[in-house]
Amino acid sequence: MSTFIVQRALALAAFSPAVLAQGPVFQTPGMTSVPSNYSVPGSSNDSGQANRFSNVFNPAFSFVVDSLVDSIHNSGASEDGERIELRSLEFAAQSWVDPSAWAYFVAVADEENVAIEEAAVHYTGLGGNHTLRAGRFFIDFGKQMQTHVHELRTIRRPLALRTFLGDEVKGDGLQWDSWTSVSDETAVRWSIGAFSNLLPESVKDIDPETQAAQSIADRKHAEDFNFTARLTAFTDVGQNGVLQLGTSARVLPRFAYTFEPSGDAAEDLDNTVFGLDATYGWSDDSGLKSWTFGGEYVLDTGDTYSTIGDAGTPGDPTDDSVDVISDELNGFYIFADYAWDKSNSVGLQYSQVESPEAGTPDVSETEAYYTHLFSEFHRLRVAASGQNREDGEDSTRFAIQYTVFVGAHGHGVNW
Amino acid sequence: MIHMHNSLAIRIRRAASAISCLALVALTGLAHALPAADPLKVVCTLPDLADITREIGGDRVDVTTIYKGKENTHALMGKPSHLVAMSRADVFVQVGLSLESSVVPGLLENCRNNRIQPGKTGFVNVSEGWSALAVPTVLSRKDGDVHPQGNPHMNLAPSAGQHMASVIHAHLVLVEPGSKLVFDQRYAALVKKLDDASARWALVAKDWKGRKIVVYHKEFDYFADAYGLVIQGSIETKPGIPPTPNHLASLIDTMKREPGAVILTAPWSNNDNVEQVARETGAKIVELPNMCGGTSGAETWIGMMDTIHKRVAEALPTAPAAR
Repeated sequence: MSTFIVQRALALAAFSPAVLAQGPVFQTPGMTSVPSNYSVPGSSNDSGQANRFSNVFNPAFSFVVDSLVDSIHNSGASEDGERIELRSLEFAAQSWVDPSAWAYFVAVADEENVAIEEAAVHYTGLGGNHTLRAGRFFIDFGKQMQTHVHELRTIRRPLALRTFLGDEVKGDGLQWDSWTSVSDETAVRWSIGAFSNLLPESVKDIDPETQAAQSIADRKHAEDFNFTARLTAFTDVGQNGVLQLGTSARVLPRFAYTFEPSGDAAEDLDNTVFGLDATYGWSDDSGLKSWTFGGEYVLDTGDTYSTIGDAGTPGDPTDDSVDVISDELNGFYIFADYAWDKSNSVGLQYSQVESPEAGTPDVSETEAYYTHLFSEFHRLRVAASGQNREDGEDSTRFAIQYTVFVGAHGHGVNW
Repeated sequence: MIHMHNSLAIRIRRAASAISCLALVALTGLAHALPAADPLKVVCTLPDLADITREIGGDRVDVTTIYKGKENTHALMGKPSHLVAMSRADVFVQVGLSLESSVVPGLLENCRNNRIQPGKTGFVNVSEGWSALAVPTVLSRKDGDVHPQGNPHMNLAPSAGQHMASVIHAHLVLVEPGSKLVFDQRYAALVKKLDDASARWALVAKDWKGRKIVVYHKEFDYFADAYGLVIQGSIETKPGIPPTPNHLASLIDTMKREPGAVILTAPWSNNDNVEQVARETGAKIVELPNMCGGTSGAETWIGMMDTIHKRVAEALPTAPAAR
């Protein structure tokens, strides 16, 4: 009986203000939830009012150091050599704003620039499973484009995505997404987004070699915004597997291509990239040994490529013209990843893209890697990749990537 | 005239009584004919919590479990079925203490089910009110995968059954007060079973104080603490950090100098490192379930604890090793 009474008392005690007790999504490890220097209300040094100097509502901070040592050997005229670089330093913060909104930012510094890669608010107050996202953020395309490069399984993003979308594609815009269940084991998620500009950074700026640039007008009609859409379903496969299928699109209804030396420009260009992706993951009963297989087919349509025509006086760029190629180009990547315990995994990825010009070679890239996690926050990766062109201009790269994650850390649902 | 009025009133009252009785009988029959309200949809992280919830809830609960039983509790990733189940749940039951932090925060955030969010009666954190061991005074990743709220493996404490049951029972009553009688009766029966089991386990473990064990991961600290078992070391360098050759060499040296320890490991951690330490020290390996479903005989929480006590008792030397 006494045990019963004790248990009842404990049960009542359990209804003290509930705590999540899992570590909230936004938590800075190493910091207590209430800083130890937080003045206790009523104590002599406390005004009894939170003010501009109160730090108890500070967001959770984190930073990532991603460094790379690599050696590149080309069979053609491209530059060979070794390099050691701090590839990126990422600094991020995130916090709830009110009961229905949370915000975050990600700033990234490399050897030359500091850029705000993402700064956005997730609003969840629409009810149901809807989320509205506003600000600057990575586009929702396939399984990889939302991911920062240092978080990928491989050293670089797959060739097919780099070629048709860019290393990273972020935009200032709005995105609406939602999910629903279609059975006990299957969920379907969709998103649509409208952005002011979805040209990747790598092609927006003037290319120093060609002096050419792509651009999207700052102000435009609503129908001329850039758009994204994604539909994906994921489902349990047996007790240990998960299968995800998805389709994505990025639409640029209007953009221009300009050649600076001559001032020639091709305007009213349009481009749409479609993607079809599939990922299957399997893990053993311990959850530590796993296989992941995946791939994505990418189709680039519309005005896909531009070249500079040496019109007028040969060799004189001031009278050259911009030639735009409208074509359908396709590419894909496939990968297999095997983790044999919590700390070690190996993988192989193959990617191939179709060349935009007749007579020029297709390109393929193969990357093999081994990843070792010293801990969940400390990673070493060794990789070898080879890029093969049909014309024999091959290159080989050996790389060591060393990455540490410091601070706030969480696991979301991998859509 | 008055007499006639009285007689009429009596007849009316009798008729009313008869109608009332008929109505009552009809309503009672109708009530039996109507199906009972749908059982509460409960999602539990560990099978341990699912077992206790079923024991208390009976047919008033429909329980879904996230873990299957052999996983590393800190490494599970969410699946679509987990998300769907969470989105439909009336009650969500977790251990907490960041035990399930690899999977629960993401599911809670994305399931968008307000009934089971922290602070709601449908959110059940069974570690509330529990005195955790090893609550860190300084939080640093230097100490490995530390849990800010203390050692999270409270489900393996011999006294945890009563605590988990009391918290789950109290929440079920709050969520569905109409079934309080059923929950109370089933809870009382469970407490009786748990008390009997505790007495049984205390008898099995009466001579364990001072015996040495080595663990792979700090999962059995509560179990060891309950009986005074001495944890000689852990095969992991720090919680969540795989062993290094230096660490293993040091541990093996210690175990050779002070022999007599048995190695406790879980299904997920019974690996080459455990075998190496056992081979080089001659220590026995005892694989124990770290949650229900981890091994045969561990389908229920009491069954799991019976299995753990039995296996440890069989492995420990018959007399305390010389110290």
